[in-house]
Amino acid sequence: MDQLIPIAIFLAVLFLLLGSGVWVGLALMGVAYVGMELFTSRPAGDAMITKVWSSSSSWTLTALPLFIWMGEILYRTRLSEDMFRGLSPWMARLPGGLVHTNIVGCTVFAAVSGSSAATLTTVGKMSIPELRRRNYPEHLVIGTLAGAATLGLMIPPSLTLIVYGVTINESITKLFMAGVLPGLVLALMFMAYVAITAKLSRDFDPVPEPHMTLLAKIKNSRFLIPVILLILVVIGSMYLGIATATEAAAFGVVGSMLLALAQRSLTPATFFDSLMGAVRTSAMIALILAGAAFLSLSMGFTGIPRGLADLIASWDLSRFQLLMALLVFYIILGCFLDGISSVVLTMAVVEPMIREAGIDLIWFGIFIVVVVEMAQITPPIGFNLFVLQGMTGHEMTFIARAAIPMFLIMVLMVFVLILFPDLATWLPENIRQRV
Amino acid sequence: MATARALRRFLDALYLAGGVIAGGFLIAILLLIVAQMVARWTGHVFPGATDYAGYCMAGASFFAFAYALNHGAHIRVSILLSALGRFRWWGEVWCFGIGTVTATWFAWYAVRGMLVSRRWNELSQGLDATPIWIPQLSMAAGVILLAIAFWDHLIRLIVTGRHGITTDLMDQAQGE
Amino acid sequence: ETWDMPLAYAATNFHSEVAANFATCVTEATGGDLEIVTHPSGSLFGGAEIKRAVMTGQANIGERLMSAHENENPLYGVDSIPFLVSSFEEHEKLWDVAEPYVTEALAEDNLHYLYSVPWPPQGLYMNKPITSISELKGVKFRSYSTATAKMAEMTGALPVQVEAAELSQALATGVAESFISSGATGFDRKVWEHLSNFYEVDAWLPRNAVFVNKDAWEGLSDETRTALTDCAGKAAEEGLQTSMDYTQTTVDALKDNGMTVERASDAMMAELREMGEVMTQDWLAKAGPDGQAIIDAYRGE
Ligand code: NA
Ligand code: NA
Repeated sequence: MDQLIPIAIFLAVLFLLLGSGVWVGLALMGVAYVGMELFTSRPAGDAMITKVWSSSSSWTLTALPLFIWMGEILYRTRLSEDMFRGLSPWMARLPGGLVHTNIVGCTVFAAVSGSSAATLTTVGKMSIPELRRRNYPEHLVIGTLAGAATLGLMIPPSLTLIVYGVTINESITKLFMAGVLPGLVLALMFMAYVAITAKLSRDFDPVPEPHMTLLAKIKNSRFLIPVILLILVVIGSMYLGIATATEAAAFGVVGSMLLALAQRSLTPATFFDSLMGAVRTSAMIALILAGAAFLSLSMGFTGIPRGLADLIASWDLSRFQLLMALLVFYIILGCFLDGISSVVLTMAVVEPMIREAGIDLIWFGIFIVVVVEMAQITPPIGFNLFVLQGMTGHEMTFIARAAIPMFLIMVLMVFVLILFPDLATWLPENIRQRV
Repeated sequence: MATARALRRFLDALYLAGGVIAGGFLIAILLLIVAQMVARWTGHVFPGATDYAGYCMAGASFFAFAYALNHGAHIRVSILLSALGRFRWWGEVWCFGIGTVTATWFAWYAVRGMLVSRRWNELSQGLDATPIWIPQLSMAAGVILLAIAFWDHLIRLIVTGRHGITTDLMDQAQGE
Repeated sequence: ETWDMPLAYAATNFHSEVAANFATCVTEATGGDLEIVTHPSGSLFGGAEIKRAVMTGQANIGERLMSAHENENPLYGVDSIPFLVSSFEEHEKLWDVAEPYVTEALAEDNLHYLYSVPWPPQGLYMNKPITSISELKGVKFRSYSTATAKMAEMTGALPVQVEAAELSQALATGVAESFISSGATGFDRKVWEHLSNFYEVDAWLPRNAVFVNKDAWEGLSDETRTALTDCAGKAAEEGLQTSMDYTQTTVDALKDNGMTVERASDAMMAELREMGEVMTQDWLAKAGPDGQAIIDAYRGE
């Protein structure tokens, strides 16, 4: 390849800018600019604006700030306390006891939140103190929370899937549907792990829960009604085809506002805070997406993606080998980059390879989500580790170590997905006629 | 000194105003989508609703760039910076230098790109047929604001040794 | 010299295949002096960006669905006036008349027109058999352009706005029950899973045009320009033939998968033409004397 030197320069600039602490979105722009200057005589700045404008003014993208906003509103309600009260009576008798509220709570909240961190903070702020008071082993509490919160990315709605869908131009609704079953399976795998650990481990000796009659349990479940209604509205409206992903997000925002109103937690101040919080987070993602849009144009001019796809095709890897290579690649990348950046940064190169290999892009979206989920809990850069550090005051090494079993379960999940691809593809292919 | 303080207040108000405008656009997205749904349920069309929502998306993003920067919401990989210890200042100058150059370059072309759309009278390809340069004003204004914010922080960093950003992990993490 | 050529559609789409052959033809005819590299699937610039990109030299050559830019100049939409033509032959006749006008319009946008290829004719997908357009009343009809919105208005259908990416889901869930598109779309989206009838009404045949940045064009040597023009001529011919063949293939595929495919009855065609007449008048009101000249010349032949 006579392009070897320019490619080396290209990669060196990428590592230099990203590694030295330049903001990700601007670093991507800088790299893209260098790429344009090296590989083509087309005007870099003008071309950048064409791409940046069309990618930032996209209608599909509007689901993103709305789901973030919804999460911000819910964070300011009493939802997490209610969820704990409603769920815990049912979990108390399971092997592993109330640790399951971490996982089930995350699973339930994941169905109304698009973010892993929002899931983590909302569930964690309630469950950590309660579980600590009952003498559950700290590493198990922290580890399961770190792991299960990542379900926020897989169970719809999901910010990662929105970004992925916008990047490869696939239906967000289909991607959302694809995440449902794998998300539930992953949650069950987490729960199985908790049950087994509780049976085997000697330091598992929580304070037993007082006995509760079935009637009392059912009565307590009324606290779950608001969140279940919200799930029905958000996911149900998509599944029944009443709403597109964006419209479901609008339903979600309105629904969570009504919920907050009913609980009297919606004041002008909390409204403004939630709005501005959503604006900041979505601006952060928008800058990364703008940089990535320009980078993918620049990559197109370099011909690197095509070259690489051809090169890998010439190696004649089986699909399995290709996926294994990508798994390792993304795990390493995920140690250092946040999920959205690693998705948008690589898609320009990976997408042609995936298409070439005949891998279903909806399925691959779920694959990507699992690896991005792992990235949330791998040091040195893992947002769930950061958030838990802030919440619990533990050393990051402690949290990361506590989360290792969860990481391994996610690796196992990748193989489950490869063995049973229908888990991801069945539901999107069978969104049925409205009843 | 008094002018410096006045300038400081003015700039901070400017960034906040950008954020508030972005918030207004986010509300507008919500209203547009609700209006479109209501139109559909009642057998009407709201022509161009998706296009308008797209423009609001751009407005909600671009206007908030500087505001998000000041709140430390933009993601960066800061391991190396922390490892620099007492040489961190040099690292920050490098980062803000690159940031300033890139943001200024971005702003220049955002304005140019808008003028190009005007020069060729580009119209939206959707049902709305909006002249594209009008919504592109939000891109030009927002990115100029970002460039101003970067110059602001870079100058503060060089003069006082400190930039004005405290990293907000929560804002960053919410995106994940 | 290397020219990057952004294409909006997938590499396997026949437009992209024709463009790829065109690129090879140019590269060979110029002995490699001008190499054209195609970038399908919007991997360089997406469909909506291609005209701007070529106009301003961000890419030197590109292909775009012309009627998408009808807002900017009604002449770009001459190929998409509903029910003005109703077969490949009639469409080609119209295009013979219109081509110089469109070439002129593109030139004003700093673009040198090379060739264009029609899409297969647009037919009517329905969830039930119909014999008259009055049966469209109350049917949820996908409207995505001025023309389709107008059609909904005139037939009393319930217009629903559905983006292309969400079409399959909208059909699956009953948000849309009817839409107008080519047999190819139905084939790609497996529409037979949701809808039962396809009426070949040949509503219109939109065209993809290939154009070059005018400054880049003027910078070429005479020989290179001749090579481009010759290859463009071949591509136009190849494209038309492929489009006709492909129409048959996809319509057959719809049938094989259980859809009822038929030409609309004469009575229904007459109703549609009547509607087409109104829409032609609408278009003429926007398109001015050039538009009038095209329609007059087309009808005068
Ligand atoms: Na979620
Ligand atoms: Na990580």
